[in-house]
Amino acid sequence: MSSRFRNSCAILAVAVLLGACDREERQSRAKPLGETVPAAASPDTIYPGDPSRARYVDARGASYEGNAFAIAQGQQLYNWMNCVGCHAHGGGGMGPALMDEKWRYGGRIDQIAASIYQGRPNGMPAWRSKLTEDQIWQIAAYVRSLSGQVRKDAVSARADSVSNTPPQTQTVRQPVRPADSDQQ
Amino acid sequence: MRRTTISIVAIVALVLAVSLLVWALGASRERSAATADESSGNSAKAIAAADASPPDDGNWTMPGKDYASTRFSALRQLTPRNVGKLQVAFTFSTGTTEGFEAPPLVVGSTMFVVTPWPNKVFALDLAKPGAPTKWIYEPNPAAAAKGVACCGAVNRGAFYSNGRLFLNLLDGHTVAVDAGSGKEIWRTKLADIQKGETMTMAPLVAEGKVLVGNSGGEMGVRGWLAALDAGSGQLAWKAYSTGPDKDALIGSNYRAPYAQDRGKDLGVTSWPPEYWKIGGGTVWGWISYDPKLKLIYYGTSNPGPWNAEQRPGDNKWTAGVFARDVATGQARWFYQSSPHDLFDHDDINEIVLVDWPAPNRRRIPALIRPSRNGYFYVQDRRTGRILSADPYAYVNGYKGVDLKTGRIIPNKEKEPKKGRVVRNICPGPPGAKDWNPSAFSPVTGLIYIPHLNLCMDMGVMNANYIPGTPFVGADVKMYAGPGGNRGAFSAWDPVRRRKVFEIKEDLPLWSPALATAGGLVFYGTMDGWLKAIDGRTGRLLWRFKTGSGIIGQPISYRGPDGRQYIAVPSGIGGWAGRIVTGELDARDPTAALGFANATKDLPQRVSKGGMVYVFALPQ
Amino acid sequence: MSRVAALILPLALCGCAGFQNALGGDGGEGANFVRLFVLFTAVCTFMYLLVMAGLFAAVLRRRRNADELTVDTGKHHESAPLVTRALAAWAILIGIGLMALTVASFFTDRSNAAITRDPQLSVKVTGNQWWWDVQYSFADTSKSIRTANELHLPVGVRAEVTLESNDVIHSFWIPNLAGKQDLIPGRVTDIQLVPRKTGLYRGQCAEFCGVQHAHMALDVTVESKAEFLRWAAAQLQPAPAPRTPLELAGYRYITTRECSVCHNLSGTPASASVGPDLTHFASRRSIAAGTLPMNKGNLYGWVADPQSQKPGTKMPTIGLSPDELHAVVAYLQRLK
Repeated sequence: MSSRFRNSCAILAVAVLLGACDREERQSRAKPLGETVPAAASPDTIYPGDPSRARYVDARGASYEGNAFAIAQGQQLYNWMNCVGCHAHGGGGMGPALMDEKWRYGGRIDQIAASIYQGRPNGMPAWRSKLTEDQIWQIAAYVRSLSGQVRKDAVSARADSVSNTPPQTQTVRQPVRPADSDQQ
Repeated sequence: MRRTTISIVAIVALVLAVSLLVWALGASRERSAATADESSGNSAKAIAAADASPPDDGNWTMPGKDYASTRFSALRQLTPRNVGKLQVAFTFSTGTTEGFEAPPLVVGSTMFVVTPWPNKVFALDLAKPGAPTKWIYEPNPAAAAKGVACCGAVNRGAFYSNGRLFLNLLDGHTVAVDAGSGKEIWRTKLADIQKGETMTMAPLVAEGKVLVGNSGGEMGVRGWLAALDAGSGQLAWKAYSTGPDKDALIGSNYRAPYAQDRGKDLGVTSWPPEYWKIGGGTVWGWISYDPKLKLIYYGTSNPGPWNAEQRPGDNKWTAGVFARDVATGQARWFYQSSPHDLFDHDDINEIVLVDWPAPNRRRIPALIRPSRNGYFYVQDRRTGRILSADPYAYVNGYKGVDLKTGRIIPNKEKEPKKGRVVRNICPGPPGAKDWNPSAFSPVTGLIYIPHLNLCMDMGVMNANYIPGTPFVGADVKMYAGPGGNRGAFSAWDPVRRRKVFEIKEDLPLWSPALATAGGLVFYGTMDGWLKAIDGRTGRLLWRFKTGSGIIGQPISYRGPDGRQYIAVPSGIGGWAGRIVTGELDARDPTAALGFANATKDLPQRVSKGGMVYVFALPQ
Repeated sequence: MSRVAALILPLALCGCAGFQNALGGDGGEGANFVRLFVLFTAVCTFMYLLVMAGLFAAVLRRRRNADELTVDTGKHHESAPLVTRALAAWAILIGIGLMALTVASFFTDRSNAAITRDPQLSVKVTGNQWWWDVQYSFADTSKSIRTANELHLPVGVRAEVTLESNDVIHSFWIPNLAGKQDLIPGRVTDIQLVPRKTGLYRGQCAEFCGVQHAHMALDVTVESKAEFLRWAAAQLQPAPAPRTPLELAGYRYITTRECSVCHNLSGTPASASVGPDLTHFASRRSIAAGTLPMNKGNLYGWVADPQSQKPGTKMPTIGLSPDELHAVVAYLQRLK
């Protein structure tokens, strides 16, 4: 092997290693204090006189969405906290489906986190004092993965259940429709 | 000489042998005939219990038509000959879109329509053309109750008694409404949605008591039946379905027919410690009443969670039938149809009270019921003793009912285990028949059962109890059973213990049945057809396509003009229709606790709705 | 050489600490194993020494019959008679040795199998990441006991331990009492234990199961039958009621806040089961499956910030305020 070839191999390897880091990054000492879940992000809120706010998206969401650890933890919490009892594995039941394109209260990850944190009027329980915000973001990231919104290399390739839904690596990405069309 | 003697002896011996043989064969046939005869009483029919089934006055004042729950109308105007001319007389839209299960009640010239959440009551004036609204009662139950109602925000009906209507609200209140004005007389809070409790059942009012029960067997709710005073709404007594004997009102009057249900504090000792507090046994189905014996009969729901490995023991007093004294609530007897239930086989189905033909020409006070676990039980309603228990649908989850011990024999191969999927368990969680009640015709002696043909794959995992959230622990996927049809309408002869005819239906049947003295039987399908069939042969005589799926009780009443009317609510929903009302996604077959897979095609065929259709012959 | 030995020897003795000692032989199966192990070691050592002796002999021995066994004499392919006889004796010795080991092994297996007949105690251990869920079941289901990260066994009583897993493969290993047995999700395995000596032992998860595999220990107590029954009766009691206002505040926090969605305290509204059962938490010897010894300071540290003690564990760092922390720990200490 020529030294030039060896050098380029080394550079490539380093790049690949560094690039894969954020997918697996784990923050075991996540921020416990302070409100990280947006307080009043109702879907497509009207901001009179301040239309720029309408495009504000919480930056934290992106780091959870691309993180395989967060999605895997979210999957485990989704089963433990009985989300699966109302929403099944995305198909719904007592609660609406989470794997389709309809979102009553918004389908962005911060909107989902807000719904979990605050509860919602038609029966979604409020988890604000039952789960830490880090756990809520993890569940929100997993919920996003149910409709194919997250990177395919961050999702689990195998569902740990008998649901027979296609593995998440094959989920087709659903567009997130504006929530107002589904308000009841 | 000797040869003749020998031949005579031989002939005599031969004749004796042959006659002995004939006699032996005849005796064995007689024996098997005798066992059938024991219950057939020389081809006599079962008839409705006399005290619980008074002569028909043309009204429909309670969901079951009478205390015996026959759902039988004695009106004779409609017959197989003229039902083909049946046409719409008027319609009424409620504006609701949840599953419409409650029968309209008719008292005199007023029709009362009870809607699913938000549980409005409309009073329609039948004397005027088009049945205009007289008053509207709007109780405004909490919207959050919809989030803890397992199987749709439904309501199974009101009860009319003494000028008042009694009904339950989804968020756990029982109300009394004045039938003349629509004003609320009293409202009593009995269930707590924070714990996952709701109320969906139709009350039964008897001897001045309003009997109501809670829902929530999938939410870790402890079940109970309560009696409120009809005048004031105050709690008279409350009988829990789990826990110590003093909570379950099991005292000195209690005599269980079988050893499996005898013992002290079985509601505690047949559970792991503390599990009875979140054990289910809710009372969300039907109650029948015998005014002579002063006993009420009702069943309890499945135990919680669905994952049976978490709750070893028989799990009393879930998945069984209670007989209680109506004044005090004290239990007279209890029979557990499915001890340590594995498949969510609640026992809340309708209990029809009949007088049973006994071999000695007498009549036994009996009850007949098509149970969720697939067996048709005939029991002596004084003691609970089983007279017969036969499968009325395809069953492989159980091997039979041992009539000596009274205990059902489970099939070990179909027992769900953690971390595995057990496939092809029949019947599935809604059972061979769910809540939708059958109708009994004393004219034909047959019971008309609208039911299901669904099997399931089931995997169980540890269920975590958090109040107000589901406590299930199972992934279920349902599909059609043998034959490919998802529903079936059967006419069952309870005395001869066999099916007389069966109509296969593509979709599951989630609507109750109605039988009339004219010889007709009515039922509705999930895609909206109201059908009239001949009660003797099952031949389809008439049908009408309503706007939404039919899961509600058809009724028959005599209108102010003397004609016989048929009224039916049309509004898809309930557990079977959840894929439509919830707009669920069938790509996940476990959605709606497994029903989504069995009703994948439903959203294409039917939409939400909430209308009452009333039919009559042209004038 | 001696310096190297001085370095190596202490390391070799590390496995011999009394409470987690594979050579402890304090249980039926363990004792059988130790006997077999000693026999194997003795036989193999003897053989090894013989082989070494033979090797040295071969190296040092001078060739004697150099003139007789040459190409010229045509006997270069023959062995010296001594060597042939020695080799024959060696083959016979091996045969006897192997036979002895086989027979001993067979009898050990039989002895171990005898332990499995009619178990008198039934325990189910479910492995989770990274804690042990222990359930005792008796004929009367309403007397069953659930605890976590500890195992109490009456001495001399045959216990049948059923093993299941809720997530990944773990392995159940109490070195003093018996060998290892895997806990495999989707399967049920089992192991039989017959402790012979009372005492305190330590078990350990023996199959890598994730980032905190090292902190998944099991506190095993082998005690007399009377003591075991006393312990079982105490376990059946519901969680002790709070006695002081601080404990009451802690009780309220635990049963209505984050703790209640994962943990069970019998007799209280907290009935969740995805985390260890806490009903008699303070009576245990360690916190978090052997991560920390049980004492007040460690309780404070654990409840305040579990991620610092056991990073990656499923219990989150909630961020309790100081008052909440005092209250919670006060009530946890009441849970004896």
